[in-house]
Amino acid sequence: MMEALSTFWVIHSNLILSLGTNALLALSIWLTLSCGMLAMANAAFMGIGAYTSAILTMQFGWPFPAVILAGMLAPMLAALIIGLPTLRLSGVYLAMATLAFGEVVRIVIINTELLTGGIGGIAGIPTSTEWWHMLLAVVCALFVLWRMRRSKVGRAFEAIREDETAAGLMGINVGANKMLAFILGAALAGLAGTLNAHLTFMIDPKEFGFDRGVEILTMAIFGGIGSLVGPVLGSAIFTLLPTVLSPLADFRLMVNGVVLVLIVLFLPNGIWDPARFKQWFGRKQGART
Amino acid sequence: MRQNFLKSALLAFAATAAFSGAAAAAGTIKVGVAAALTGGAAQYGAAIRNGFELAASEINAGGGINGNKIELVVADEQSKKEEVINVFKRLIFQDKVIMIFGPTLSNSAQASNPVAQAAKTVVFGTSNTADGITAIGDYVFRNSVTEADVLPETIRVAVKNSGIKKVAVFYGNDDVFTKSGYDNFKKALEDLKMPVTTTETFAKGDVDFKAQLTKIKASGADAVVLSALIAEGAPIMVQARQIGLNVPFIGGNGMNSVKIFDLAKGASDNLYVGSPWSASNATPENTKFIKAYTAKYGNAPDQFAAQAYDALHIAAQALKNVKMTGDIGAERAALRNALPDVKWTGATGAFQFRRAHDKAGKPAGFDAQQTPIVSVTKGSVFVIIK
Repeated sequence: MMEALSTFWVIHSNLILSLGTNALLALSIWLTLSCGMLAMANAAFMGIGAYTSAILTMQFGWPFPAVILAGMLAPMLAALIIGLPTLRLSGVYLAMATLAFGEVVRIVIINTELLTGGIGGIAGIPTSTEWWHMLLAVVCALFVLWRMRRSKVGRAFEAIREDETAAGLMGINVGANKMLAFILGAALAGLAGTLNAHLTFMIDPKEFGFDRGVEILTMAIFGGIGSLVGPVLGSAIFTLLPTVLSPLADFRLMVNGVVLVLIVLFLPNGIWDPARFKQWFGRKQGART
Repeated sequence: MRQNFLKSALLAFAATAAFSGAAAAAGTIKVGVAAALTGGAAQYGAAIRNGFELAASEINAGGGINGNKIELVVADEQSKKEEVINVFKRLIFQDKVIMIFGPTLSNSAQASNPVAQAAKTVVFGTSNTADGITAIGDYVFRNSVTEADVLPETIRVAVKNSGIKKVAVFYGNDDVFTKSGYDNFKKALEDLKMPVTTTETFAKGDVDFKAQLTKIKASGADAVVLSALIAEGAPIMVQARQIGLNVPFIGGNGMNSVKIFDLAKGASDNLYVGSPWSASNATPENTKFIKAYTAKYGNAPDQFAAQAYDALHIAAQALKNVKMTGDIGAERAALRNALPDVKWTGATGAFQFRRAHDKAGKPAGFDAQQTPIVSVTKGSVFVIIK
């Protein structure tokens, strides 16, 4: 039994740890979404975290805990700097500005070759990330976010999402709260990038481009952004689906797409949608009038 | 009575199943192939899979390896680093293959090959040309000739053939292939002490190159060293001819494609490319390969198919000297020790391994030792220059 378990772990450890990375990423964009902002810079923040941490480990030999901290602080700083001008934008304009920022980050990484290895990336990163690092990171993130939702800050986020003007009139500091959500999201994305870089031996700038940004957004929306369960569930399904469907070989991408379309059509608020569950299964009790 | 009959029937069935299962296990050698069958590198992955399947069917039709058939376990690594690691772990620990061919891209290899090295399983790249792959460890092999070997030879032959005194350099700086091609060109030009008149860059997706080409023309270069993929390389050649820049082009690996004759129709002449394999190379081994491939798949092979095809034949030579004991660890180690001595002449010509060294100068994996074939475009064919 123990042997079977350890074989299972050896084969699937990377996949299981990817669950953690993607959960952190989905939660990072959930933060800004919960504050009513469609910011698409999370892939770039992940990249900043990954590169900062990899460079500190490889070139300066920092200990891993310090590297993790720096991998979170660097994207937070970047978020603060670009947040000041861009967070005034709303809706699709914010999405465009943050996408442009992501592109700038990618091109800077490509062109600062001495530090980042350019387009070829950084290879040979030691695999310092243990399973418990990932577990601890996800549990801590969930705990902090869960507590926050019940706090003044969380309620302020919700108020801003529902109606920014009304929230402002009620005395909520809209700008500061948005900035807080943006910076915390950057920290989570940076943490995901750091742990991921120290798990997969190498990083390259392609990973942190537009595709990854869309993937992160899809995971959160797919799971549902009404609660914390949604992003975690969405990221888990998104991570596992390609592997689960791998026996389908060439049809895998097609089935993957069909599943997504069906979910979006029939569960527009994401998979985790308690209100709809009630509507489906709770009719007998007359819960709805 | 009836129950007895059932019991004996079941027993007989179980015995047959057990017997045939055992026989199958003893008679096959599982070889992993991790190729990018979907995603951005899928066009290469498909050719690579075909090359392996052709070689496997040839080897099996010829009696296999000491009577054992080769069974390919093909897995799609999607050219994503997470997936490539997952695939390698599945092949090594679940499918228990004796060795793995792949992955398709060099960047993927940086993520996956440490996994194989740690598990003491041979990983054999057929399309990884970047520096540093074989520095990962002594279980890492490749038969793909690196650009560091191909490009100096291309320049040398072009210079000899066209009397080139000074060159201009033009490359794409936001793509991993074209950028590493540029680095190797630069080094080769320095080694040959070839004066460079100007160095210009472009980005992926550009369509107008006339500004840079005009500068190159004004610099008075005798040839343009071009590190580009075909999508940008073909319009570059067309526009160069349009502005009257009629000097030869010396291309990297990305320009080595028959598509140049379609995409740069009428302007494709005088492009030098170096490659480990050429469709025009009429050795008996290559002719046989091209004929068999075309018969089986209905289209012409490319360099990636040829290298995959040769790779399995090279591994087969080593597998002949490996005793199949059923202890996968021992078999893998024996294969690792047998592989470096293999010499083979296949579709890509005479081949042997050359020891590679890591950054600290310690011996690591094994690179390809092979003379590239340099050819020049004329009309709508590549003409080999000896």
